[in-house]
Amino acid sequence: MFKLKLTALGHPNPESFNCEDEKEYRSVVLWLEDQKIRHYKIEDREGLRNIDADSWKEAYDLYQKDLVSPVSDGSPNEQLNWLLSYAVRLEFADNVTKYKDAKIEQPKQAAPNVVSSNPLDNLNFSSPAFVNGVERVCALTGVGPHSDPKLRLSAVAKILKTSPHPDYPRTEVSVVQQPADVLKLLFIQDLRDLQTKINEALVAVQSVTADPRTDTSLGRVGR
Amino acid sequence: MVVRNYNEELKYLEKINPYCWRIKKGFQPNMNVEGVFYVNNTLEKLMLDELRNSCRPGMTGGFLPGVKQIANVAALPGIVGRSVGLPDVHSGYGFAIGNMAAFDVSDPKSIVSPGGVGFDINCGVRLLRTNLHEKDVLPIKEQLAQSLFDHIPVGVGSKGIIPMNARDMEEALEMGMDWSLREGYVWAEDKEHCEEYGRMLNADPSKVSLRSKKRGLPQLGTLGAGNHYAEIQVVDEIYDKYAASKMGLERTGQVVVMIHSGSRGFGHQVATDALVQMEKAMKRDQIAVNDRQLACARINSVEGQDYLKAMAAAANFAWVNRSSMTFLTRQAFAKQFKMAPDDLDMHVIYDVSHNIAKIEEHVVDGKVKTLLVHRKGSTRAFPPHHPLIPVDYQLTGQPVLIGGSMGTCSYVLTGTHQGMTETFGSTCHGAGRALSRAKSRRNLDYKDVLTKLESMGISIRVASPKLVMEEAPESYKNVTDVVNTCHAAGISKKTVKLRPIAVIKG
Repeated sequence: MFKLKLTALGHPNPESFNCEDEKEYRSVVLWLEDQKIRHYKIEDREGLRNIDADSWKEAYDLYQKDLVSPVSDGSPNEQLNWLLSYAVRLEFADNVTKYKDAKIEQPKQAAPNVVSSNPLDNLNFSSPAFVNGVERVCALTGVGPHSDPKLRLSAVAKILKTSPHPDYPRTEVSVVQQPADVLKLLFIQDLRDLQTKINEALVAVQSVTADPRTDTSLGRVGR
Repeated sequence: MVVRNYNEELKYLEKINPYCWRIKKGFQPNMNVEGVFYVNNTLEKLMLDELRNSCRPGMTGGFLPGVKQIANVAALPGIVGRSVGLPDVHSGYGFAIGNMAAFDVSDPKSIVSPGGVGFDINCGVRLLRTNLHEKDVLPIKEQLAQSLFDHIPVGVGSKGIIPMNARDMEEALEMGMDWSLREGYVWAEDKEHCEEYGRMLNADPSKVSLRSKKRGLPQLGTLGAGNHYAEIQVVDEIYDKYAASKMGLERTGQVVVMIHSGSRGFGHQVATDALVQMEKAMKRDQIAVNDRQLACARINSVEGQDYLKAMAAAANFAWVNRSSMTFLTRQAFAKQFKMAPDDLDMHVIYDVSHNIAKIEEHVVDGKVKTLLVHRKGSTRAFPPHHPLIPVDYQLTGQPVLIGGSMGTCSYVLTGTHQGMTETFGSTCHGAGRALSRAKSRRNLDYKDVLTKLESMGISIRVASPKLVMEEAPESYKNVTDVVNTCHAAGISKKTVKLRPIAVIKG
């Protein structure tokens, strides 16, 4: 956890940091104040420097209050996360010119470019038609607004998975029902084709294996 | 156990709609969930009379009344939803017959109980259609009945006419209907129209005792005794024309064949063996139950898994058994009509199992859960579009075959969405006993029973006429009441009514 932010800030060992470990947690807080945030004067940092003391917690609470942390009542993870983000923000503010022109390196594509035959892959997700469609589905399923239509669509998918029968307004029944019915019928047709092929394969195998026999001398009627 | 009088007992029962009663917690000790049962006015009276009788002072021993058994099942560890009693419910070993209960597989305390499956593992019904009309069959009805009787051995101690050795048996136990298919006893389309495609994949013959195999081997391809039968029936009434036509039932008077049989002595031995193992497991894992007959083991314990694997083998045995009888029925018809079974259009409409436990996925409180569903005297009834039903029935819902008592009518129903949510996709299985076997023997005369069937124009061939009164219609609840209750409650839908013209029985 926090590996990315710690790396960005130049922490000596971001890989091995364990935020569950109280001691490591405290030393990272101290390191942040000493190296990055520098909110207190050096001599005022005594409270935070006593990592092993019981009074550290009070000093930490006061420190957060002084920084006006919005999550000072949150869990230790949330608190540290905010501190790290704050430090990143300060770091950026100090060197705006340096970071402004930073380019994100495109990861090299490992696999060769496969042309997908799935028409869904070739959808233009930013086209107005797509955005409008998502808007309508979201209105039916009660998904709130978000600037990224793909994110909204995945929210809809999640709702469909967790509650199989979302309640849609009665007036909109046919909008949802009709396409669903068409899909179901197409699916059944595919399934019938598949089942017929399976049956044909079974019959082909039967022509080799089948040898049904009866022997009436074995039979006996009970009482 | 607390002793209460009948009126005090009634306080725990509440009628929530005209076809459904709720059994509140506290009716029996330690209930984890509530119970529920489906009845109409007639069946309600039978159900409550049974409870009233058991409340009379001095009534001990014998089976507990069905309502009590449903409540005891609700007290088993790991049960989810409700313990459901179907309209044909009556007392059985541990679980009532006509009781379904589902257990959460992800809960380590959940159990599997042989009493929740029954002794006749994968007892079930198969329906074959023909393109014959009643008028084609009536002139040679007696010969046809005799021919069926000659082909399918019936009765206690009967032996089958399909030659099998011990190796064939091992393979059949593992492969189920795939074995029958490989050997050429059935058609590829038969497998398609069978619950689970006629094969439980988790079957493991090595978990079955030698004794079971020895008992089972000569019995393959035999009908058995008790309530098992093969009937030649005709379509009497069509309620749902579309669903019926999907099943190839186009007109009234069309002839069909119903085979009701199970895993014979094999399944019985598997269940008996498991009960012994489970008593040990209960002691070890400290599983407490209300009734000694509810012997069970945790699903993930060795005993639980061994039972499920052996039970699956017994289920496969039953499918091979019904498949063998399908083959013999086709032969009998082919001989009488001098036509190939193909030309008689003798396809399997469906094959249902009504004594089985299966792993299924269901939605519980809005979440998908993997459950071990016990159905004892209860038929699976999945709704339209369920992935586990054949493609031909995707639009109608799964066909549910309800065999009536001897000489009365039978029904074909289809599964509904309401049934899926209310009863984990389960419905009734038949008429359900009203009188015990002993009581039927005391109260009825076999000659009267046979004469009555003849007067109804039903040809009958029985191996043991002296036991026929046990299966007389008077010993059973009225199957029409049972089916109408399921239809009215919405847990399944009436499609076709069938009427027998010839009966073959053990």
